[in-house]
Amino acid sequence: MEKGEIQERVIKVVSNVLKVDPSMVEPDSNFVFDLGAESTQSVQLVAAFEEEFNVEMDNEAALSIQTVGGAVDFITRYVQ
Amino acid sequence: MTQEIKPHPLAAVAEPNLLDQTFEYSLPPRIRFESPVVEIIDGQPVEFDPRTIPQRDIVITDTTFRDGQQARPPYTIDQMVHIYDLLSRLSGPNGVIRQTEFFLYTKNDRATLDRCRELGHRFPECTGWIRAVKGDFRLVKEAGLSETGMLTSCSDYHIFLKLKFDRKQALDSYCSVVDAALEAGVRPRCHLEDITRADIDGFVLPFIDRLMEMSRQVPEHLTVKIRLCDTMGFGLSYPGVELPRSIPKLIYKINRECGVPSDRLEWHGHNDFHKVHVNGATAWLYGCNALNSTLFGFGERTGNPPLEGAVMEYIALKGDMCGLDTTAITVLADYMRSIGMPIPDHYPFVGRAFNTTRAGIHAGGLRQDERIYNIFDTAKVLGRPPRVAITDKSGADGVAVWVNEYFCLSGADRINKIKVHPVARWVLDQYEIHGRLTTISDEEMEAKVKELLPDYWDKYKKPSITNT
Repeated sequence: MEKGEIQERVIKVVSNVLKVDPSMVEPDSNFVFDLGAESTQSVQLVAAFEEEFNVEMDNEAALSIQTVGGAVDFITRYVQ
Repeated sequence: MTQEIKPHPLAAVAEPNLLDQTFEYSLPPRIRFESPVVEIIDGQPVEFDPRTIPQRDIVITDTTFRDGQQARPPYTIDQMVHIYDLLSRLSGPNGVIRQTEFFLYTKNDRATLDRCRELGHRFPECTGWIRAVKGDFRLVKEAGLSETGMLTSCSDYHIFLKLKFDRKQALDSYCSVVDAALEAGVRPRCHLEDITRADIDGFVLPFIDRLMEMSRQVPEHLTVKIRLCDTMGFGLSYPGVELPRSIPKLIYKINRECGVPSDRLEWHGHNDFHKVHVNGATAWLYGCNALNSTLFGFGERTGNPPLEGAVMEYIALKGDMCGLDTTAITVLADYMRSIGMPIPDHYPFVGRAFNTTRAGIHAGGLRQDERIYNIFDTAKVLGRPPRVAITDKSGADGVAVWVNEYFCLSGADRINKIKVHPVARWVLDQYEIHGRLTTISDEEMEAKVKELLPDYWDKYKKPSITNT
């Protein structure tokens, strides 16, 4: 899967879970400070990524990712 | 005067030091002493060595049916017999709960005593309780008891203001009843009521001297026992406190100056100043072998040393379970609730919430390793695994702990917090969207787990919540 496609799908998931416009979600957006993610939403995001990409991720490592770009890189490791 | 500053270099270890010698998870944490304790008494340093505790025959005695019952409507006979049976289970074969005492005044009192003895338990031994008047002593003889407590009030508040005696009249009256007990072959246990407000040199010690003189004339099994009754909770454990409030000094005077051996000394406290448990443990450390207590601290006014607290202290001091069946504490608490005795939710060891955490960050700790936020292995010691109560503060960590406990999952089977996110979301919505202010009940959680985690429900489901 191309990294560009992964990023596109990550942004779609982030937009759905955090209920923000996709145009506001950029690779260097911080989930907490820029997009307003709360603790439970961080957990929802990881669950949604797992469902979207059909992977099982290391939960603690996944929850430590702070930016959209970081999430793209992290997921790329699982889908390639 | 300047003090040299001592440097404290960091010990950068690779493995955690969990201080296992003290915090062995399967037991209440040990109380370990590294030196004797020194108290200045009559201007001289006196040494007490608490390191001898593991070798001493310290015991717990119970007054749930006497002082405990003074604080509530009477128990039925059946209730008392059941409680006695459970006390025996808790006590174990070594008799850590050594004795319990009964009123002897009514037909029901005597019937209860008979039925408890019919159970055939060795421990707790059954003893009586009477006022120090000869007429009452007849009840002890008729009940066929080998030991009875008798009220021998020793402060001038009681001698002059209540009994309308002078000190010599009080002393002679008490001694005449003790004499009657000894003649009948019944061991007297003198309850020195209000000792922490008494004239120690002017009445208490002369009275005990007389009792020791009488004891020298009788066989060992009849020698007089002394119960130090801190009737108003005035006793203090702090070093340097003056008599009559100093527990160390009181015990020293009676134990070492009057020569009453430790196995004939007992402490009975009250909780008027929130000191009841520590005062009782202090009495153990300074030379009383017996600590008198009541289940869950129920007793006159503010109550007595809680028996279950004494049990935990006992294990902590001894470093061993000593044959105690501590799971009986939980059974006793459930039984007390079932007969209408309230136990606050946050009450140590038995309250519904005593090992329940509400904060998500604590639940996160519990999820990683329950030792982080559980005082000891409460599942093993009390049959009560640590729990989380679900509120807006619980987070996904708290929900995960709840779900895993609900499904009784451990180790690799445990469900991680990512998988429970639909329930965590539902919980948060109750507060953020619906403005809820109360805790989510177990029944609600059960229903939501069934609805939102159907795969896990089908795999692990159990009938219903039964144990809170």
